[in-house]
Amino acid sequence: MSALLRMEASKLLRLSSVRAAAVLLIVFPILWAYAPGIFEVYGFFLVSGFQVPALSLLSSMEFLMPLLVAIIAAELVGVEAMHGTLPTVLLRPVTRSAWLLAKLLILTVMPFLVMLYFLLTSLAAGLPYGFGSFVGGTGLGEGGLVGQGLTTAATAWGELGGAYLLAAVSLVPIALLAVLATVVTMNAASGALATLSVLIVMQLLVVFPALEPFLLTRHLSSYADPVAGLGWVVTLIALYSAAFAAIAVVLFERKDF
Amino acid sequence: MSGRTSPGGAWSEGRVGAPPGSSGNRKRGSGPPPPPAPSAEPAIRTEGLSKRYGRRPIVRDLTFEVRPGEVYALVGPNGAGKTTVIRLVSGLAFPSEGTVRMLGRDPQQHPEVRRRLGAVVEAPAAFYPYLTGRANLRLHARLAGGVPPGRIDELLELMELGHAADRKVGVYSLGMRQRLGVAGALLTDPDVLILDEPASGMDPLSLHLVHRVLRDAASRGSAVLLSTHHLDEVATYGTRVGIMEEGELIDEVDLDRRRDRYRVRADDPQAARQALAAQPWVQDAFLRAGQVIVQLAEPDALGRVAPVLVEQGLVVHELTADTFDLRAYYRERVAAERLRRTASGTTGTPPAVPPIGRDGSGPA
Repeated sequence: MSALLRMEASKLLRLSSVRAAAVLLIVFPILWAYAPGIFEVYGFFLVSGFQVPALSLLSSMEFLMPLLVAIIAAELVGVEAMHGTLPTVLLRPVTRSAWLLAKLLILTVMPFLVMLYFLLTSLAAGLPYGFGSFVGGTGLGEGGLVGQGLTTAATAWGELGGAYLLAAVSLVPIALLAVLATVVTMNAASGALATLSVLIVMQLLVVFPALEPFLLTRHLSSYADPVAGLGWVVTLIALYSAAFAAIAVVLFERKDF
Repeated sequence: MSGRTSPGGAWSEGRVGAPPGSSGNRKRGSGPPPPPAPSAEPAIRTEGLSKRYGRRPIVRDLTFEVRPGEVYALVGPNGAGKTTVIRLVSGLAFPSEGTVRMLGRDPQQHPEVRRRLGAVVEAPAAFYPYLTGRANLRLHARLAGGVPPGRIDELLELMELGHAADRKVGVYSLGMRQRLGVAGALLTDPDVLILDEPASGMDPLSLHLVHRVLRDAASRGSAVLLSTHHLDEVATYGTRVGIMEEGELIDEVDLDRRRDRYRVRADDPQAARQALAAQPWVQDAFLRAGQVIVQLAEPDALGRVAPVLVEQGLVVHELTADTFDLRAYYRERVAAERLRRTASGTTGTPPAVPPIGRDGSGPA
């Protein structure tokens, strides 16, 4: 299993979607940090380096980050079909479930790595504003970006860390959903597209209020606007993740190549 | 071959006097094939193997076996189902019906049996394009549980890829990828080799190299199953050839038996046939176009043929090898099968197929 995990980690870093995401996640916070029309459009000024990662997160979790995570996950599975390497690997004494579990494990960790990288690039973009205590808010705590007076650096670090961590957690089932979709289609583009389609449908289901606490997409913003308690959010996300992974393994076990 | 006849098919090739599937069981390092005799357990065995995608049958009721040291070649037109058979046998696809046994085990239920399998199921062989040839083989060696030191270099040299070992596979030519595929299949010195068109797209030298390597692997005791369109090459070293058409095994040719077959022109063919048929070292003797075709049970018995006839007072005008033209046989056999299918239509029980004569001259 360790050989498989090393292999998959190495593949992950070589994916074209990962390289594209690496560039995009550098550019994206810079746009926020140096946007000249931010006051005219949103009505506030950036006063702290802590606000850049917060703004980056707030503006990307709706669509960009789920998209990136879905594409990366779909590519890690689909690239094997594209290169024709999947049968070659499965002809070795490796069980199908072990092969897919290695990918699932790597892709469970992947959102945390992506979010850590995003936090670092956002902090780097916010460097010119400094990281001391400031008057205002990070956008992730009480009072939003306006805040409730003085925000200490410690509070800001805590809010940022917690928000990025919870955002990463909420992206895990999306990565695993993309694996499931790609196992079904055995095509990276189709897998990513199917994942996004499911997410869009889930977003539309908010018109059924009873369903809202159960919708995966509703919890993508839990880091700032929790619809339920943290325990519920994490439990639901874990259940979704386990279900997507289990279905993917079962389908993969019976797939013809 | 188990001797099972597929629906509507007739396997007439090499059915005289020998247990089905018993020929060509060469042992490691041996020279010419020994006479047919019951031998080791089959390394590959399928029984009633069928595969459907939806309602469309791709492979139908396929039964065959490959023993250690044998080279079994699946041949047939494009779309005949060869690749599906390769994938079913190697465990990549699931049978709709029937069973597959590799070294006595179901490769789906016992993936560990694949430690003793080397396979190439893609044409060209698929590798990670961003890794070098050597790195790809290392990766496969790790997945296979490790190989002896120097094995990778040895195989790269064997497949004449030493000069390109540290180049990325993405820049390899088709033939180089194919050769790397064969190297990958040989990594663990497997007991079973399964290859889907391993020499497709190769230049004549590479083609010769790949077939030589496969022949050598079989001579060391590996069971080799391959699909191929290279009939001339496989005819020189294959043990048996299974001819597929529309998902069915329509015929099986025992090439080993063909290699020990000779043509005798004597003044009295009938008496010559009787004299030869009485010899214990003759497996079969029959008449064809006024000549005696003699199948030797012992490859070194050729020197005894003429003396036996002379002792009987017969005049021997000619004694020569009865060369078997696999390509011509294949062409005639597939054409006959298509005729039969056309005549029988797509439904109903097809009429009996005119048997191919054991002289390989095709349907009457």
